[in-house]
Amino acid sequence: MTTIKLQNLRKEFDDVVAVNGIDLTVEDGEFLVIVGPSGCGKSTTLRLLAGLEQATDGRIGMNGRDVTDTEPKNRNVAMVFQNYALYPHMTGRRNITFGMKSAGSFTDEDIDRRVEEAAETLDITDLLDRKPQAMSGGERQRIALGRAIVRDPDAFLMDEPLSNLDAKLRIQMRAELTRLHAELQTTTIYVTHDQTEAMTLGERVVVMNDGQIMQVDSPQVLYDFPENRFVAEFIGDPAMNMIDVAVEHGTAVHDAFELPLPSDGGEDGSTETSLGARQSKEQQAAVLGIRPEDFYLAREYPDLGDETFTATVDVTEPLGDSLLIHCSVGDAAFKIQAEPRTSLQTGDEITVTYDPERLHLFDPETGEAVYHSANAPASPERVEQAPRG
Amino acid sequence: MSTREIFDGRLEAALLLLPTIIVSVVFLYYPTALAVRTSFFDSGFGRQDEFVGFENYTTLLTSSDYHSSILLSVLFAAIVVVGVISFSLYVTFLIHEVEYGQTAYLLSVIWPYALPPAVGALVFLFMLHPTLGVVTGPIEALGIDLNWFSNGSQAFVVVALAAIWKQIGYNVIFMIASMNTIPDALTETARLDGVSRFRRLVSVYVPIMTPTLFFLVIINTIYAFFSTFALVDLLTSGGPSGATNILIFDLYQEGFSFFNFGIASTKSVILFLVVGILMYVQFRVTDKYSYYGG
Amino acid sequence: MDGVIQYTKRRIDAVIGRTPEQTDQGSNAGIHLQLWVLVFLVVFPIAVALIVSTKQQGIVTSLGDLAPGTYALENYREAIVDYNFGRFMWNSLVMSTVVVAGKLVISVCAAMAIVYYRVPYKDLVFLFILFTLLLPVPVRFIPLYQLINDFGWGNSLLAITVPYLASATAVFILRQHFLSIPTSIVETAKLDGVGPIQFMVYVLIPMSKGVLVGVSIIMFVYAWNQYLWPLVIINSEANQVAQVGLQLLQGDVQGGQLSWSLVMAGSMLTLIPPLVLMIIFRKPLLETFTIQQK
Repeated sequence: MTTIKLQNLRKEFDDVVAVNGIDLTVEDGEFLVIVGPSGCGKSTTLRLLAGLEQATDGRIGMNGRDVTDTEPKNRNVAMVFQNYALYPHMTGRRNITFGMKSAGSFTDEDIDRRVEEAAETLDITDLLDRKPQAMSGGERQRIALGRAIVRDPDAFLMDEPLSNLDAKLRIQMRAELTRLHAELQTTTIYVTHDQTEAMTLGERVVVMNDGQIMQVDSPQVLYDFPENRFVAEFIGDPAMNMIDVAVEHGTAVHDAFELPLPSDGGEDGSTETSLGARQSKEQQAAVLGIRPEDFYLAREYPDLGDETFTATVDVTEPLGDSLLIHCSVGDAAFKIQAEPRTSLQTGDEITVTYDPERLHLFDPETGEAVYHSANAPASPERVEQAPRG
Repeated sequence: MSTREIFDGRLEAALLLLPTIIVSVVFLYYPTALAVRTSFFDSGFGRQDEFVGFENYTTLLTSSDYHSSILLSVLFAAIVVVGVISFSLYVTFLIHEVEYGQTAYLLSVIWPYALPPAVGALVFLFMLHPTLGVVTGPIEALGIDLNWFSNGSQAFVVVALAAIWKQIGYNVIFMIASMNTIPDALTETARLDGVSRFRRLVSVYVPIMTPTLFFLVIINTIYAFFSTFALVDLLTSGGPSGATNILIFDLYQEGFSFFNFGIASTKSVILFLVVGILMYVQFRVTDKYSYYGG
Repeated sequence: MDGVIQYTKRRIDAVIGRTPEQTDQGSNAGIHLQLWVLVFLVVFPIAVALIVSTKQQGIVTSLGDLAPGTYALENYREAIVDYNFGRFMWNSLVMSTVVVAGKLVISVCAAMAIVYYRVPYKDLVFLFILFTLLLPVPVRFIPLYQLINDFGWGNSLLAITVPYLASATAVFILRQHFLSIPTSIVETAKLDGVGPIQFMVYVLIPMSKGVLVGVSIIMFVYAWNQYLWPLVIINSEANQVAQVGLQLLQGDVQGGQLSWSLVMAGSMLTLIPPLVLMIIFRKPLLETFTIQQK
């Protein structure tokens, strides 16, 4: 049983604020991914958890115990680093056992048994007698994982563990980490800059920027209901299109087109109220967000809807499974992910339609989401978070 | 923001540092302080120390013998530095250019790093002995009358040659390391542009190697001032008539032949100032040019 | 415009395989030839010494006399046994070994404290150690001589080892190397609660093997080649080191009691230990040198 609770956690380096007041609860057995651009404070958060950094302010709790000032070795966590951090002069086996032997709280038989188990789980029995330089990157990272799991820690802390691997191996190891977590059920906090990795691995994903948490949700909720522009643009590749519009009587108005906004009528009352407020006013500036895959070429999907407008093709990028069309209408530029093998030339006029269920509006000043055309699901995470927070 | 400072036991850290600190204080700082103190005294063998203020300094700074010793040392250092750097740079460049035999060539020119100065001195003494030397004959056949036991300039040249020879290995070691870090692409671009080999050395390699070359200039200067004692002692003993009496040998004689500890200490302090200035210059210059290294 | 045409022409030359070197500069064979000449210059003096050490009298007055003699064994035996050179060599070896071992131990400790401990003022301590680079033997040997005699260490092994134990160079090189060990490895040790002694023995030292060997060679060559300080502080033949022993042999030659071949045999013996170590361990030695410059 391991739950981790961060309260108003803060870390300053000289005059840089790396982590700026974070509140977060990690549930027992959860696989939580922290994602964000470089310098957002995600690694520092992890290192605070490990005890490798001292918090400037705030508390860290583990299983109800305050560990803010506890020595790293007494926190019973295991960390996996991006560069594996294997001792180059030790064999795989010695790398795995060195820390345990130093701790002195395990008997030799116990250590041997655990190493055998871990080696079997990770399929690294053959590597145990080799030194790191005789291993591939993936093999090294398996040994590093082995070193983490033999100690049977309360939590795994992983700092970009797959970033040094090539693309193919990374995907393979991703699946392996998921399997490993399903098997061990150990609370895991995983830091990455790669949003795809975050989406595929995390049961919940924390998006961070500038030392603060932008949103915590399950991957699909993050994708479908971003709470702000930052999350909307960070999650998803190619990124969500952002177009400056004016909202007028339930319609997003741009010089070149008008998109009616379906009334959301969902349980999320606040959004409706704010939109309602907007409807009553004359005109309100907003940023319209639509993902490239929610735009369609009308000639490919004639049944989708009546609302269409015309745009000009600037550039096309064949992605293999789709065609990314950079196009513009008036002063707005945006991308459309269309069916592959669509023959289009620069300068062609296209008729564009969209999925009316997949529109988002953001406040141009604060960046907060003010409207999602789909109904937000009553996400279990949110319900759980609310009474605890 | 990661840190290597994983331990924080102050007592442990102090214990780990203590041996180095004790040896430094007792055998390095304290004697230096004593030298500074003695430099203000009239002190000698079997004499009572007597405070004389700056008298030792004024005596030295007005002594024409000491002036010529300083001048001699500076000239000696200049010749050694220029000689060793040009020779080493050229050899290093040639080794860098050949495609096979690099290791063998390299070893054949860096071995003098291990050469004890005393051995170097004796070999030169033997080889160039005015009456018995092996190469004395061939040199005299060129029309030079080799008599450096009595000819001051010749003696100076012989000591300088020995000093250069001994220091080649050390220089080549640093130069080859530096030259090997020059990206191949730069060499290839220069070749495609038809830059001649020699121009490539002068206009492409030397500017890139600037930090290393400055480092070596300073190291070689310090070497010429301080580490050539054995050469002078064994080859010429500062003679003939003071022609090779560089500062370090002069200081030794003052202390251990004439037993004028006061004056000798003053000379030590002046030498210390010389090293200090050289080190400072090195620090400033490498700082300034370090961007070349990338 | 002419420049552009020239440039284009050279490009074309390059493309069709006419490299500029073939037309305007020495070929590869020329480079090898130059290297042979330069290597000859560097090796010649020591080759002469080697040859002389195998001859009966060592009177080699012309290049024609430079054929190896047959008295090698006899000469070396005589130098080692009859002229006490074995004793000098042994003293040098003991001195150098003690200095290397002592320096390594206390420098590893100091560098570990400086890199891996979070304690106040350690940067100051590091500067304090580095500053000793400004205090070479010549600056302080006169007061040091008095100090060592006050300790009653005159003429002993202590006198020629203990003052050398603190090493700014060793601490500096080790510190640079420790700083190059990935932080994550250090942090892993911290997370595992590895203690300082375990860390030093099982992590730091095994990960520094190459540098430790390189530093040892540098220290050995330095200690072995010391001349001035042993000359001053050791005044009994039984305790003298090889460098100064050579001077004693030479004195005998000048006095007409000894042949040059014995002096050259002594020189060869003195050169062998540092040279052999340098050749065997050239790889870690060269790598360590490159750390030193940073």
